[in-house]
Amino acid sequence: MAMRELVTGGAACAVPGSSSSSSNPLGALANAIIGSSSKTQGSEFLSGFRSANQNGFADAWDEIQHQNQIPPHFDQFHGPRPAALPQPTLDGPPQRVLSSFLHSFVGSSHGSIPFRPTSLPLLGLSDGDKQCIRDRSSIMARHFFADKSEDFINAQVNALLSSLEIDSDARVKGPMPGRFPELEDYWNESQGMVRPGAPAVDGWITEYSQHRAAHGDPDAWAHSFEQQHGANGWASEFEKEQSQLTSIDQMRGVNIPNFEAMEQTRMLAHTLAQNNDPKFQNSKFLQFVSKMSRGELIIDDNQVKPVASGDWAAEYQQQYTGGPSWADEFAHNQAINPKWDFNDLLKLSHGPEQWVNEFSTEREQHGSADDQWVNEFSKLHVDDWAEEFGQQIGENSADNWANAYDEFMNEQVAAKQRSDASRGVYVFSDMNPYVGHPNPLKEGQELFRKGLLSEAVLALEAEVLKNPENAEGWRLLGIAHAENDDDQQLTCNKERISMQAIAAMMRAQEADPANLEVLLSLGVSHTNELEQAAALKYLYGWLHNHPKYGTLATPELSESLYYADVSRLFIEASQMFPEDADVHIVLGVLYNLSREYDKAIESFQTALKLRPHDYSLWNKLGATQANSVQSADAILAYQQALDLKPNYVRAWANMGISYANQGMYEESIRYYVRALAMNPKADNAWQYLRISLSSASRNDMLEACDSRNLDVLQKEFPL
Amino acid sequence: MPVFKTPFNGYSVKFSPFYESRLAVATAQNFGILGNGRIHVLDLSPTAPTLSQLVSFDTADGVYDLSWSESHDSLLVAAIADGSVKIYDTALPPTANPIRSLHEHTREVHSTDYNPTRRDSFLTASWDDTIKLWTVDRPTSVRTFKEHAYCVYNAAWNPRHSDVFCSASGDCTLRIWDVREAGSTMIIPAHEFEILACDWNKYDDCVIASASVDKSIKLWDVRNYRVPIAVLNGHGYAVRRVKFSPHRRNVLASCSYDMTACLWDFMVEDALVARYDHHTEFAVGVDMSVLVDGLLASTGWDELVYVWQQGMDPRAV
Repeated sequence: MAMRELVTGGAACAVPGSSSSSSNPLGALANAIIGSSSKTQGSEFLSGFRSANQNGFADAWDEIQHQNQIPPHFDQFHGPRPAALPQPTLDGPPQRVLSSFLHSFVGSSHGSIPFRPTSLPLLGLSDGDKQCIRDRSSIMARHFFADKSEDFINAQVNALLSSLEIDSDARVKGPMPGRFPELEDYWNESQGMVRPGAPAVDGWITEYSQHRAAHGDPDAWAHSFEQQHGANGWASEFEKEQSQLTSIDQMRGVNIPNFEAMEQTRMLAHTLAQNNDPKFQNSKFLQFVSKMSRGELIIDDNQVKPVASGDWAAEYQQQYTGGPSWADEFAHNQAINPKWDFNDLLKLSHGPEQWVNEFSTEREQHGSADDQWVNEFSKLHVDDWAEEFGQQIGENSADNWANAYDEFMNEQVAAKQRSDASRGVYVFSDMNPYVGHPNPLKEGQELFRKGLLSEAVLALEAEVLKNPENAEGWRLLGIAHAENDDDQQLTCNKERISMQAIAAMMRAQEADPANLEVLLSLGVSHTNELEQAAALKYLYGWLHNHPKYGTLATPELSESLYYADVSRLFIEASQMFPEDADVHIVLGVLYNLSREYDKAIESFQTALKLRPHDYSLWNKLGATQANSVQSADAILAYQQALDLKPNYVRAWANMGISYANQGMYEESIRYYVRALAMNPKADNAWQYLRISLSSASRNDMLEACDSRNLDVLQKEFPL
Repeated sequence: MPVFKTPFNGYSVKFSPFYESRLAVATAQNFGILGNGRIHVLDLSPTAPTLSQLVSFDTADGVYDLSWSESHDSLLVAAIADGSVKIYDTALPPTANPIRSLHEHTREVHSTDYNPTRRDSFLTASWDDTIKLWTVDRPTSVRTFKEHAYCVYNAAWNPRHSDVFCSASGDCTLRIWDVREAGSTMIIPAHEFEILACDWNKYDDCVIASASVDKSIKLWDVRNYRVPIAVLNGHGYAVRRVKFSPHRRNVLASCSYDMTACLWDFMVEDALVARYDHHTEFAVGVDMSVLVDGLLASTGWDELVYVWQQGMDPRAV
């Protein structure tokens, strides 16, 4: 003992206890030489745990120790190294959208704010990914949301899962058992069994064994629960709640008035009013709040969906402006061009007068806003209505705010009803040298053919400004946007269609409702945005207006389109004219909708046999393969697209995504840089590039990425 | 004070028991809900207040926890969300790691603890409701302890008795085990909500701390477990981790989903010694150095690792 203390420094030294944790080299040496003396020193109580060695566990345990009496020498330890264990494959799913979204979910716990389902772009999550999200979020939510009710927690998790289109599953680890009254009774009972009065120190073992005997085995309580509820008691309860929640979602889907949204906002206002901690206000939580409140206003009206999702995208990007997290990888530019500003929408749909006036008057009445909270909040969205709301919250009671919001919501609903303008809003460039050009359409077509897509967009904008009814102008403008990949939309790994592209296509359809190419493009682009109803509408419209297949599309069907009907019609159509590549393309698109990627790939491959030189078709094939997690095949398809059309920015970027998804970050960087060299305005690609740079540990190039210094990047990453 | 930015969300931080300037950090992408993981081994610079990375290891799923070996200065054990337990040799390059990958748990492994007295074995606690006992030189686990009825979040060795450990579970119980016995030796229904962490006092081998979703930390004497010795209230959300000081009998550190780390003295009435609110998202990892009195480290979902001396502001430059 004395020797030992000399070596280890004894109790006075940093090492805890006399010898208990010999967590330093000398101590380890001392223990190795002298042997552990802990058993003689510890309290008798814990040593007394063991009654007798009847079971052989002790022998086994000691045997292990004997084998290792002296810790194996290091080199010996890994002696003949196991034939190098396989390195982990680092193929995460598309990260950016998911990460932001999960952030919102986690952030929602900070103030126990109801988390709202949001429409998300396709993320290409595998079943395994989904199971992870489902299981982990269910378990973790019960930690974040601490003392919230089980219903609340289930609602939060369900909102997350339904947004990610993950089926809620009864196999999920349900709520922890302690919440069930039966179990609490059990515990009380077990506590009650203990004799009143302090038991003798050595009495507990006997008591414990009695206790154990009485209940048979330690899982007794679980059995007692099972007896009451049947083996699947928890599961079925969980399921029940989940299905109730699902039906709420469905209600929202059919645009039941915004009652629920208002309720949530009330709660939100309440919580905000209560929480004065500046830290929470600085947290990304608050940014989430802002996003949510804006989302509320427009998201559940299918009619304004393009705006809704565009807004959603801009929202995320704005949220993270200034945030130091990795989310700022996709921030930057959004402040420059908030295209889908909520104000714009309102001006369009019902004129700016009422609510703006209402709020600005109130704002004046409330005078200056020097409240700290307000300032924090306003910083987030400088020219945003949230600012006005922020001031409201700052100055008024939460109830007041909720009332004002309710009023506003009612008006908004009415406004939506009045305005059936269901189209997205196309935003024109400010400075357009082609305005005044004698024949901008011809110029645009020429530029498009040459692959100068950014220029083509400008020329075509000039054309549709001049001739707003020119369907071809709008259509080509939409395609140019789509192919130039300069979308504001946050989609991953997908044939991405920008909001601008959709807006342009909608104008084209307005000008020429029966234009087959336009209908097909719209069908495809809505698949991307996961708007099945709209996609089906346009695809059905394509069939209906098609001279060959018009007979298949009976008008009564158009009233209520179901996926199964539409896909059946197209299968019939493909049997009528198996040589029509368009039908196979549509089938491929439809199978993407239903996530039957294998069939989708087959359809696109059939179409490609008929139309091998269609670069956009190769891109579709690649995107589908990427979504079905066949990134390696996807690269081959993208390569085909690029061979056919070297200026196809989207395919270059998609190629980068596929490499990144395979963990080949260096490769992906080269492709992103190439895409950006062709279109420096492809914001998504900048963000993807930044992620790949971080993943490849090329932090040295982050600055070049942030300052968008293409010269440096191209020199460093030649293709 | 030194700060290190991790690309992923921090999950756990541990000081090396061999080098006073070294620590390891477990991280997971997307808050550990989905994605990759990375382990960082960091060194405190002796001159400047900076943390530099010695090496890092990537994993295909999030890393929820890690613990340094008590027998080899470069070995560490990582608890991975995919259910595997991996052993890394930080002296070897990433390409030669991990040196062991043990696949037995059927669900996420949430914590690991290296035996500080026998130094040949370690525990892992998993969401598959079990705790497993391993030794570094065996390809399979030595034993599986299956009694908890819900996720086991934490298992911690007694600092004096090499055979005794405790475990904290979502079934709202704390259990005490002796590996020489067939079943658990004691069941403490410690909280009415899930228990996320537990630790033994380093000076009194009968005292355990438990941390729960109910926002409290409770101190228990295993000789009389019906009433806690102390209840520490002050965290605003679930308490994620609790750790006794290796240097002071009555002091423990905790961190919480309320984004703070706290120091407590459980023997005094006003138990909260210090509150550190340097993290801007959930604080989920905290550790106290065995080799340097008062040296603390924390990590959180804000992707930052802080190291600071008790009494200082972690954010002070």
